[in-house]
Amino acid sequence: MSADKKMSRRDLLKLAGAGSAGLVMSGLPVKVIAQDMVTIKVQTAGLGDNSLQPVADIQMARNPNVNVEWVVLTGIDHEEVAAKILALVAAGESIDVGYAATEACQLFAGQGLAAPLDDRITGDADQDFWTDFFSDVHPSLVEAMMYEGSLYEPPRDFNAANMYFNTNVLAENGFDVPGPDWTKDDFVEIARGTTKKDDAGNTEVFGYGWTNRLWGSWMPWIFVAGGNLYTEERAPGGEWIWDGYYEGDAAADGRGGGLRWQTPIANSPEVVEALQLVVDLWKEGVTPDIGMGTGQTLTGFYATGKLTMTPAGGFWAGRLANEGMEKGDFDVQLWPAWRNQKHQFGTGGHWLSNTSNAPDEAWDFMKIEVSHEGFQSSIFFNPVIITTPARRSYSQKDAYETTGPANSDVFYDTLDEHPSTAPIPAPPWSNPMTTIFTTYTGFATSGEMEPQQALDEMQAELESLTNREGRKYYQE
Amino acid sequence: MTARKTTAETSGGPWHWLMQDTMDGLRRRRALLGYLFLLPTLLGIFVFTAGPVFVSFGLSLFQWNIFKPPDFVGLENFERLLEDRRVIIGLINTLKFTILAVTSQVTIGLILALAVHRINRIWLRYYFRTAFFLPLLMSGASVAVFMGYIFHKEFGPLNYYLTLLGIPQIPWLTSSDLVMISIAIISAWRNMGFTFLIFLGGLSNLSQEVLDAADVDGAQGLRRLWSVTIPLLSPQILFATVTGVIGALQVFDEPYIMTRGGPGNASRTLVMVMYEHAFKHIEFGYGSAIAIVVFLMILVMAIAQMWLWRNRVFYQ
Repeated sequence: MSADKKMSRRDLLKLAGAGSAGLVMSGLPVKVIAQDMVTIKVQTAGLGDNSLQPVADIQMARNPNVNVEWVVLTGIDHEEVAAKILALVAAGESIDVGYAATEACQLFAGQGLAAPLDDRITGDADQDFWTDFFSDVHPSLVEAMMYEGSLYEPPRDFNAANMYFNTNVLAENGFDVPGPDWTKDDFVEIARGTTKKDDAGNTEVFGYGWTNRLWGSWMPWIFVAGGNLYTEERAPGGEWIWDGYYEGDAAADGRGGGLRWQTPIANSPEVVEALQLVVDLWKEGVTPDIGMGTGQTLTGFYATGKLTMTPAGGFWAGRLANEGMEKGDFDVQLWPAWRNQKHQFGTGGHWLSNTSNAPDEAWDFMKIEVSHEGFQSSIFFNPVIITTPARRSYSQKDAYETTGPANSDVFYDTLDEHPSTAPIPAPPWSNPMTTIFTTYTGFATSGEMEPQQALDEMQAELESLTNREGRKYYQE
Repeated sequence: MTARKTTAETSGGPWHWLMQDTMDGLRRRRALLGYLFLLPTLLGIFVFTAGPVFVSFGLSLFQWNIFKPPDFVGLENFERLLEDRRVIIGLINTLKFTILAVTSQVTIGLILALAVHRINRIWLRYYFRTAFFLPLLMSGASVAVFMGYIFHKEFGPLNYYLTLLGIPQIPWLTSSDLVMISIAIISAWRNMGFTFLIFLGGLSNLSQEVLDAADVDGAQGLRRLWSVTIPLLSPQILFATVTGVIGALQVFDEPYIMTRGGPGNASRTLVMVMYEHAFKHIEFGYGSAIAIVVFLMILVMAIAQMWLWRNRVFYQ
């Protein structure tokens, strides 16, 4: 074909055929390499697909044949993220590594979706890694990630319900941040003393605010009143971890193979009293109307000086800093004592899917995430703390140097100094349990039901739910 | 002769009925072409709408939590929902919402359309048409989020302005008595642009002869509106009502995001109960049973509306 000739249709087809063949040939080596690549799908929440990129970068630098893909699932609360993971699984999608807080960890473990990690940890050639990790993580966090004797998630972060104070509002009303031994009565005095109303009786500054959810909410009051939604028992097992990695640690004494929440006790006098306390504060106008959600609205009120106290964990330090609050504008303290000073927490981490096609590479990812390198590069802890690190060494005062709070010690002291601190009630059926809990909380805090009636009905529904679901999970 | 030959050539083949050079053959070819154009839509409806409905019917007879194989339980899920207080409350709330939301969006949409139709300046008419339609282009979720702030009792701008007028703070989203009304107002605000446009289109197409005749007969103002305009708009009103009811019976975004069904169960709708059971409680069988109830409810109400309006709709 000469240059001055027009290309015929036949020539064009020949050329296209030759080109396609060339493309196929040139693609072959790529295909060979691609076959050696291992892709792991990691589910992330909250901050999206960039949140764990530093961890992936470390893994991919160590092993160039690993490719990490993100499955981003966000939700208003942990229960919603868990629901989306289940929907994904129901739709036939698979993930290799998923993120879950305590309650969803119990569900995924109980249903066999998550793989136990016992053999991977005890069989790991690098035992120094695990000795170092467990010595840095409080045993209560580890126990909260155990189900029927096995560990399903190495904890990455946790949040205990502590009390945050707007120090400016406190100072305006002549109050100081209370000490760690403050009581429920001190709390009520501060809450009432800092509440301001206008001439029409509308509250302008609220002494206390909270949102209707499982964690935080009024659950800390249930704990310090001496109650719980369920009885708290220990599953047998777990010696491999307590004897193997926590030997000699008094905080590990008496721990078992995870917690079991089997018998509802939602209408016990202690729980009724706790609900009565928060309902009374709402009726007085000390507390704003109780909404649902994770407290994003409260963050705004707090940052603008319209709220004195609210329950939150270490995650609030970074959030308030991002809202423009300066160090010193807020502080934190342990939850006030009532009948006891038992605190509640929730912990989170990644779990390994039982159906993973690349479990070894997925496990490597999980291990890097909880390593020192992982913590040092994680955007959850750098440049500001946006959730409390499960490793004690990353939750020290210097980590909160730029953002505050001044009393940041209380975050890990809640675990270290208070042996009774325990996870929120998190049976594998915690999603329907949370629906029941928030529904009847709403009945009481809107005045539609008295606390006793709301909790009697909550108890009846929890009993029915537990009868239906409970037998599927815990071994005799 | 040639035509006969062609017919003879094609006769006997498998496509003989289609390829005939006759009026029948031509009609068949045109019909086939029509069906081919319809095929993508029909496939879409079957795969994404009708198919899932059939699957839901099947699933509703099983207990299935996705982790283990489904267990056939017959009508047990339907028996359970008859005794499920949340389902019954969800049904009542949904009906309450439907009545409030559809009535408001049809009424307000009609009033706005009548008002805008009277505007003579074209640019002003364009402006209002765009302004009223804009909310419909926003996602339900984002509307719910910002309306949650606007309707917040203590710090929402709505109550702020009301208190300036001496009106006490209203618990729009935290009172069991008010929450469904608030959600209906928000929904009507978002959807009235749709009914508005339908009515505006209807008004533009009203027969001038009929309107002139009404003038000659002395029908003015409200009398003309009631006796002439609204009857002539009846096809649009029927369409807006039927589609409005179908949409309202599936309400989910606004109550889920703003109140999560609360306080208590005051804003829990039937679709929300379905979502909670299917996706949060991993009871796909029971969730499907509730979905079937929603489907039947929509079907019955759509048919009932068509039947009730059968003698009241005037097509020009």
